[in-house]
Amino acid sequence: MTTLLSTHGLQAEYGDMRALHGIDFAVEPGETVALIGANGAGKSTLLSAIMGLLPVAVEMVKLDGKPVGGSLPHRMVQSGVAIVPEGRRLFAGMTVEENLQVASEHAAAPRGTAWTKERVYDLFPILREKARTPVENLSGGQQQMVSIGRGLLAQPRVLLCDEISLGLAPRVVREIYDVLPQVTAQGTALVLVEQDVGLAQRASQRLYCLLEGRVTLEGKSSDISRDDISAAYFGASHALD
Amino acid sequence: MHWIEGIVQGVLLGGLYAQYALGMALMFGVMKIVNVTHGDLVILLALIGISLADFTGIGPWGVLTTLVPVGAAIGWLLQRAVLNRVVGNDPLPSLIATFGLSIALQNAMLVVWSADTRSLSGGGLQQASIEIGPLFVGVLPVIVLICATVLTGGLDAVLRFTRYGRSLRAASADVEAAAMVGVNPKAVYAAATAIAVGILGFAATFQAMRSTVAPADGPFQLIYAFEAVIIGGLGSVWGAFTGAMILGISQAIGFRINPGFGILAGHIVFLAVLAIRPQGIFQRKS
Amino acid sequence: MSYRVERMTLSGRVAILAGALALGAIVSMPWWASQGLIRDVITLACFIAVAQMWNMLAGYGGLVSVGQQAFVGVAAYAMFVMAQSWGINPFIAVGLSLIAPALLAVPIYLLLHRLEGPYFAIGTWVVAEALRLVATNMPMVNGGAGMSLRVMTQFSAHERAIAGSFLAALLLLVTVGGSYLLLRSRYGLALTAMRDNPVAARSQGVDVQRLRFLIFVAAAIGTGFAGAVYFMVQLRITPPSAFDMNWANLAIFIVMVGGIGSIEGVLIGAVIYFFADRWFGEYGASYLIVLGLLTLMTALFFREGLWGLWRRTFDAPWFPTRRTLIQVERDVP
Repeated sequence: MTTLLSTHGLQAEYGDMRALHGIDFAVEPGETVALIGANGAGKSTLLSAIMGLLPVAVEMVKLDGKPVGGSLPHRMVQSGVAIVPEGRRLFAGMTVEENLQVASEHAAAPRGTAWTKERVYDLFPILREKARTPVENLSGGQQQMVSIGRGLLAQPRVLLCDEISLGLAPRVVREIYDVLPQVTAQGTALVLVEQDVGLAQRASQRLYCLLEGRVTLEGKSSDISRDDISAAYFGASHALD
Repeated sequence: MHWIEGIVQGVLLGGLYAQYALGMALMFGVMKIVNVTHGDLVILLALIGISLADFTGIGPWGVLTTLVPVGAAIGWLLQRAVLNRVVGNDPLPSLIATFGLSIALQNAMLVVWSADTRSLSGGGLQQASIEIGPLFVGVLPVIVLICATVLTGGLDAVLRFTRYGRSLRAASADVEAAAMVGVNPKAVYAAATAIAVGILGFAATFQAMRSTVAPADGPFQLIYAFEAVIIGGLGSVWGAFTGAMILGISQAIGFRINPGFGILAGHIVFLAVLAIRPQGIFQRKS
Repeated sequence: MSYRVERMTLSGRVAILAGALALGAIVSMPWWASQGLIRDVITLACFIAVAQMWNMLAGYGGLVSVGQQAFVGVAAYAMFVMAQSWGINPFIAVGLSLIAPALLAVPIYLLLHRLEGPYFAIGTWVVAEALRLVATNMPMVNGGAGMSLRVMTQFSAHERAIAGSFLAALLLLVTVGGSYLLLRSRYGLALTAMRDNPVAARSQGVDVQRLRFLIFVAAAIGTGFAGAVYFMVQLRITPPSAFDMNWANLAIFIVMVGGIGSIEGVLIGAVIYFFADRWFGEYGASYLIVLGLLTLMTALFFREGLWGLWRRTFDAPWFPTRRTLIQVERDVP
């Protein structure tokens, strides 16, 4: 099995400041990988850099082993990488259905069973009821469901999820995380950026911990101990305090 | 009767202004830029049309069917060569770039066509009028108004119901998020400017038939388009249409009070709307 | 350790000296220069003033206006009415006429600041157009026929030259010197912060709205001053010349080509514009095509302008506004 998506010594800058210092990261088809780390560790920056939202060198990101770094975001979508962005970023003034339709109209060519609006409504039945509601009138959890649905309708082989539990009630978070296995079941890989370390560990097969733009820990989620994580999360010097 | 006639004339004039305003509303909606050459492009297309009619002898409808695709091509080129480089959060670059281009364009037209005023012969259409109740109305202004209504309705339908319309609305709401679901912003922008300037192909033909055009007239058309868009509110293409009607009526009534007061009356109504209802007549409060 | 904040540089001291000499030379012109040169210098001073005011608006305030001719025209007309119709001494009328742009700027700003960036610009244009039409329809200023400043005939050519030269020097002192002082004051940091990033400036406690309002009014007064001086020398005013779009054109060209957000750029741009206008103005339309295309190119490829290009190589500002920390002495432990 070839690696689906990988980064190689990925470096990226935000303005004048270097935010990522050589990240090696990989995800296989159907796998769920979690990215954890403190605020400002570079998790969202990593997703932005993969997605082509930040300038990066072409060799630093590979999809199916082919260099794609720095491709424009809409090209990445058409190659099979989609993102559920931080803060949901829905299209205000448009209905739930229209938000989903924009995504499906610009999707990659599906491999295997295609995601359809109907299948998204089956995952999140509440969206079927709200199909004709403007998205700004939805609750936060419902908006997050639209955002995930939008990501799925891009027919991705890798779906990057940026803080999808942020600001949501625990019940809603559970509802959302419960459907993720149905996504990976058909071979779509998931990359979860997650603040809640316990949740990240439970939901993923592997995890990466980032600190100040570097990978400080990588391994199978079930094998990693709490102590390993807190050392990697806060840095060795902090762990001694 | 005097006043009713003024209102009717104003609505008919508004039909022309609506054709200027639609493209401006579209471009501002999706790119948040104002193309200062908007009015100059009306004049450029009109002058091209007049010369075309002179050389080839094609009638006004032939001119119209030529100018719309020519306008779309100019719009596409303008987007690729200039506007794509200046789209962004800072309003300065796009304003200055198109402002400079506007000066260059006006003077280039002056070199090619001289300062003379010209007009397009409509083959008797300009003189034709019909009797509606107690009023005589020109056939041409009625055609212009019908055309403006159809264009507005058509554009509204495109925005609501087509794949392109949805991608344009998505890019208007959040261009980065639109790119993240696969929309190519530059393609959306290029098409928006092509549509906007294509519509100016209609405006140019009708402007050249209804009155005269000269190379320095562009800024006035720009200002009328702008006033219509602001009066109507930035919400929808029907807002721009309504704004154009209000501007047309204001000018027509102002003109009846005193011929020197016509254009000024339009400016005053614009400033009054800005003072009383800055979000425009049509804009939803968000 | 103790430090002091240093803002003056060697190049800055040289420039201040040169500026003082230049102002002295301008004031003394009636005793050594020809009538033609005096007229040219006054015209150049007006260009510099209008451009520098636009630079403060667009370069620091983030307020891109294409309607500054509104203030040129209003102040100039106010001056003509006071001097010609009301019989006020014309040189005093120049000063009094500045009340008009100041008073007008307040409602204009309150109306237009509601418009988003590019729409603000077109809004200023509408206001200038509206004022031109008002002047055209106003019997008090003789409508479209315009006015002549016949009262000036009571003064000799030499007296007029003295007043013109003095007013030109004062105009430069107020607009260029005033901007420089403002940028060096405690408002200067806020203005520079606002230029670089208005959102961040707001979050740092800069009252962006208030500052913008003050800049708009100040720029209106400075622009009006230039207008009053310019038309006093012209002796004649009509609505199309007073509210001429070319005032906006030249301000934008000067600032963009010279380098936006710097006083040095305005001086460079104004001199270039003045001589281009003088040498190539006779080519009319072709000259304006080049001017327009240069403005376009600057906005596309060359946004820091000539001064920005110069500054990449030489760090010697003429109007230093930057603060540098200098270590004075080591504290004795």
